[in-house]
Order: sequence, then C-alpha cells, then structure tokens
Amino acid sequence: MNDSFLRLVNVVKRFGQREVIRNLSLEVAEGEVLALLGPSGCGKTTTLRIIAGLESPDEGEVWIAGRKVAAQGVNLYPPRTRRVGFVFQSLALWPHLTVAGNLDFVLASLSVARGEREARITEALRMARIESFASSYPDQLSGGEQQRAALARAIVARPGLLLLDEPMSSLDTELKDDLISEISRLQKQLGVTTIYITHDRAEAAALAHRVAILREGRVESIEEMASP
Amino acid sequence: MVLSIAALLLIALCALPVIYMIGVSLTGADGALNLDNYSRLFSEVRQRGLFLNSLLLAASASLLATAIGAPLGLLLARADLPAKRWLRILLVIPLIIPPYVMGLAWIYMGGSSGIIARVMGRDFLSPLTYSLTGAVIVLAVCFYPLSMLATEAAARRVDASLEESALIVAAPHRVLRRITLPLIAPSVATAALIIFVLAVSEFGAPGLLRVPVFTTEVFTAFSALYDFGAATALAVPLLALALMAGITARLIAGERSLAGRGARNRGARNRGARNRGARNRGARNRSPLSFRRQHAAVAAAIALGAFVILPLAALALEVGRAERALSALQSSIEAITNSLLLASAGATLSVVAGLLLGYGRARMRRRASWMVDLSLIVAFAVPSTVIGVGLIGLWNRPGLIGEIYGSRLIIVIAYLARLIPVSALILAASARQVPAALEEAAEVAGAKWMSVFARIVIPQMRAGIVAAWVVSFILAFGELGATVLVAPPGQATLPVHIYTLIANAPSGEVAALALMQSTVVITLLALFAIFVRREKRFRS
Repeated sequence: MNDSFLRLVNVVKRFGQREVIRNLSLEVAEGEVLALLGPSGCGKTTTLRIIAGLESPDEGEVWIAGRKVAAQGVNLYPPRTRRVGFVFQSLALWPHLTVAGNLDFVLASLSVARGEREARITEALRMARIESFASSYPDQLSGGEQQRAALARAIVARPGLLLLDEPMSSLDTELKDDLISEISRLQKQLGVTTIYITHDRAEAAALAHRVAILREGRVESIEEMASP
Repeated sequence: MVLSIAALLLIALCALPVIYMIGVSLTGADGALNLDNYSRLFSEVRQRGLFLNSLLLAASASLLATAIGAPLGLLLARADLPAKRWLRILLVIPLIIPPYVMGLAWIYMGGSSGIIARVMGRDFLSPLTYSLTGAVIVLAVCFYPLSMLATEAAARRVDASLEESALIVAAPHRVLRRITLPLIAPSVATAALIIFVLAVSEFGAPGLLRVPVFTTEVFTAFSALYDFGAATALAVPLLALALMAGITARLIAGERSLAGRGARNRGARNRGARNRGARNRGARNRSPLSFRRQHAAVAAAIALGAFVILPLAALALEVGRAERALSALQSSIEAITNSLLLASAGATLSVVAGLLLGYGRARMRRRASWMVDLSLIVAFAVPSTVIGVGLIGLWNRPGLIGEIYGSRLIIVIAYLARLIPVSALILAASARQVPAALEEAAEVAGAKWMSVFARIVIPQMRAGIVAAWVVSFILAFGELGATVLVAPPGQATLPVHIYTLIANAPSGEVAALALMQSTVVITLLALFAIFVRREKRFRS
C-alpha cells in the first residue's frame, strides 16, 4: 500500500459553504500516468492544486514520495519543496521572459548552479521540441508552441510528479493528437509519475494507464486502460 | 459636425493661449521677432537655478509618491484587509485636496504649538517648513494616490496563474520581485511620469512654501513685475518638460502592458474553459501572494494616519474654536457660493465637450488616435499659471471679448482649458467600453446619429460621465494657478480667497476655509463612492 508514489487520504476541501472535494482518496504508483476525468466543477482542478500545494486540504492527508506534505488543513511543505511540475490550463507562461528565460527562472529559483542551467534548459527545450524558439517571447508563439514551452518549463527541473491541468483544452483536434503523442513520449522518456486532467475520454484513454472518474468531489470509479 | 465643434472648442480654449504665449515669447517690446526673452532666460544664473529647482522638486516628489503609492497599491490588490473599499477611498483623499491646502496643513503641523510638537513633544518640522524638502513631501502626499490606484489596477490585472506557476518553484518574496513587479512596472512608471508632470505644473504648494520654481516665477514675472515677455519665455521650458513627459507616458502606456498581455492571450484562448470554471472563479482568481493580514493592516493604518488624518487634524487644530470657523465662513460666503457655482458650470461644460471629444477619440482609426491622446495629455500638462497668463493676453482687449474677460465667464473659460483634456481622456476610456455593434444595430434599425448617441451611447457611458464630472468638479473647485491670475476684482473663488487671506488674516480663519474646501470635495468623493457601489449592484 504505502509504496505508492502519491497518496491522497480522505481529502476534503471546502470553498466557503460548498464542499468541492468530498472524502477523496487516491493512490498513484511511481511512473504511472493517471487521468482524472469528469465534468466541469467535479473538483479535478482543485485536486491537482491540493497535490501541488496551491491549496491546502481542509481534512485528510497528502503524501508525495513517502513524505506527508499536507495534513488536517495545513500545508507541511510549500509547493516549491514538493518537486512537482505543473502545466496550467492557461499555460501561465511569464510574458516578460523569453522561453529560455521562463525555464531559467525555474532552475534559478531551485538554486541550480548557473553553469548547469544552460545545459538543462537546452535539454528540456529539445525534449519538448521547442529549442528553436528559446529566445522568443510567449506572445510570439502559436498556441501549440506555447503548449510545448509550458511543457518544457514543467519538466526542466526534473520533477518527481508532473501535473497537467487540461493542457490541450484550447487546441484544435489535429494539434491535440500531435501533442498527446508528444506528452506520451516525454513521459516514457522521463518515467515521471503523471496526473493528467481532462474532460475528454479519448484523450484520457490515449495517455493514461488508469482513468479515475470524478463526480461531485469524489472518485466514482477507476478503470484500467490497456497499455496506452 | 458636432465633433468638429468640440474639437474647435478644445483648440480655442486649450491650445490658443499656449500658442499665443509661444508667439509672444518670440517677440520683443517693439513687436519684431527676436529671441531677447530667451537670451535673458538662459543668461541669468537665477533661471538655471529655477530649472534645477523645478526638476528636483518634480522628480523627488514623483519618486517619493511612487515609493508610498506603489506599495499601498500592492497592499490593496493583494492583502486581505478589512473594509477595503472604504480604506481605498480614504487613502485617495489627499489627491482630491488641493495641494495648497495640504501645504497649509504642513505649515500648521510645525511650530511650538503645532500638532507634531504636541504629539512628539518636540518640534521637528519647523526648520523644514519653508523648504524644497517640505514641498517635495507635500506634493508626494498629494499625488501618491495616483500611483496607488495605478499599481492596484495593474496588480489586479495580473493573472493569478502567472504567480501560481512561479510559486510552484519559488518562494513568495521571489515571485513578487521577479514575476509580479516586472509585470506591473509599466503601469507604475506611467503613473510616476504623470505625477512628475503634475508636480512640474503645480503652482499652489511651492508658492505657499516659498520654493522658487518656474510656475511661481511665471506668476511673479507677470503679477508683480508686469513683465509679460519674461512670463511667456519662462513658460516655454515648462511646456517642453510637460511635452516630453507626456510623450514618454504615452509611449509606455502604448506599449501593450505586459500584465494585460498575459491575460489577453489567455482570455482569447481559454474563454470556454473559463466559463466552465466559472463556479470556482471566486476561489481561483484570488492571488496566491497575499500579505499577512496584520502587517498589511498596520501599514494601511500608518498611511491613513500620516497622510489623511494628520493633515486634516492639523487644519482642525489650527482653527481652534468653532465660533472662529463660523465667522470665517460667514465672511467668505460669497467666495464659497461663487466657487460652487463656477466649478459646477465648468464641470458640466467640460463633460459635454469631453463627451463628444472622447467619443470621437474612441471611434477613431488607430494612427490618428495616437495624436489625439498625446495632445490631450500635453494639454492637461500645461501648467495653470501658463494658461492664466495666456488667457489674459488673449482676452484682455477692448470690446465684447473684454466684457467676457471682466466677468466671471473668464474663470469658467480657465477651468475649461484645464478640464476638457481630463474629461475627454476619461470619457474616451469609457466610450471604448461601449461595443460599436450596439450603435450599428440601432443604425440598421433606422435611427439617426443624434438619437443613437443620446439613447444608446450616453446611457452606456453613465458611470464614465459621472466620474468625469466628479473629477472635473474637484479639479475646478481647487483650481488656483490660472484663477488667481484671471479672476476679475471682487469675483474671487474660494481658493483665490484663501490664497490672498494667507498673508493678511489670522491663520485660524485660513485653516477654517481650507477645512471647508476639503469637506466639500470629501463629501463629493463619498457620494461618488456610493454611486459606484449602487452602479455595481445594479449591474450584477
């Protein structure tokens, strides 16, 4: 039981009167890709934010890599110590920094030595196939390129856990298929434990080992996928 | 048609006095074209000192105002403060109180019986009272709310996810320094420039604190020495400063703001996603970078005490007994009613002209609009004493024009010269919010332009119109630099009345009038706040 990489135990989250997460428990093994699938407002994004430490759970515990990072309404470890990579729904690329600058901020914040940063940035950009845009600003990129840049930023610090919040919600179908295989390839290459939020069943099936279906703040069912 | 009349009005009222002054500055006593006025200007050491003083005063005031205002703006945007709406309004009060009233409060604070001596047990302020430092402090207190409001607005525009994505890897203070601050920097810089321009143009406070700068020198050259040529030549460096700052401000503001850029990207791309998440929005749009509640509350309380309560208390203390205040008010009732009447007339007319100009500006092609914005900003930056002298030169002549010059109308004209650019800028912003499709729909339905404007556009711009009127009234009600020059004998407005009383009446009486002046504008601000609140409820 306890060798799962990520563990949520009876997590409850309320916004004011409303209970967004109701007694949610979840386990994800190391290297696994789990898709969270569900209608809007079912608590997918909130779950992801609790895992990252952007929200604290009102009840329950969160364990990452054997560490209890949050319990009973308190974040024991702030986000920056949790070794997660997060791709936001809005991508949230910093508009005043270049693509390389975006990645550099991540590494510098985590005190990676200056000499090492450049190589790591190049590597991440290459893996996300966005290296030719290193010195472009985010608003000079197309939607798909921005997506890749955000992905590169999320993996540059070699996180233990990759959290993707509907990263494709705004792309057209063709680009989507491309990026799904891209993400799948990246994930296999890195072997990083990944949680992927979507409301698109096909997307979930294409990517995940398991799909958890969320409804009204709790896990309704978990389906094993044939190898993705 | 209507638009061109409004544009002509702007040119006649705002531009002509300035053009006229530049013309006069270039002619000698014999009427021939020469540069005598300028050679005098540049040869005198005193002028260089003036230039330095003006620059130093405006730059320091702008820096200090930003140092106070930007952190307060961040607090308002990010901290979880009690009664934030009212706190914001209270912190704006120094902006609506005319600088010379703030200057009076500053003067009364010092001295052995001043409020500082009473509270601290020692009089620290007196050596500073009449000094450049004093003027810098007074103007910084008057103008910090501009920086505060601009910073708050910019910080609110920063998408929360931009800060959150940084918090995933960085500590909050680092996120604030490296992500939030760079994103709001253009707005903060623009506000600082506008404050610089306002400080360069300010006449009342440096005049009162006896700091010789260009604006006061224009006034002295004209009213004490009757040297029209010198007064006009003095105005030109001021205009140049205003023009430069105006262009720079327009450039910074024109550069699409970074904070907006991020949000715009996202808005376009993720509108669907946003709507889906609408139910969670309240929770999610809250920025992750909030200050400790107690720290924020203490900082806000200190600001409120130092910049709002202390000056008003200093004025009230100087008034002393209530009877004195009453008698002061009674003997000045004429100036008070005069001011109320003229400021209302000025504000109303400036809103009418500003409405047409602003609407025209909002519906303009991009390239021409740049010029209009710039000329409005520059027109607003023209120092009041320069407008005053220009108006005298233009209107002080025999015949009908002289009749107008000799009546209260000239005061309204001076107000309009100062106010129309402000109204037009506010109302252009407001008109831009009205979707052109609404008008097109009405036009397709067969409505005439006038009726579309009156029945579709104006109702949509209601909030902007009220805002422009309030701002115009407040500026007119405190206008000193131009009015003091053009006001006909016996027609003094309240600021002019106070300004002349300062030298020859007991300070208690002056303080009572200054307090009265402040009460009027603060009441108006409170009413406006209530209106805004109602308007918001009405919409939601």
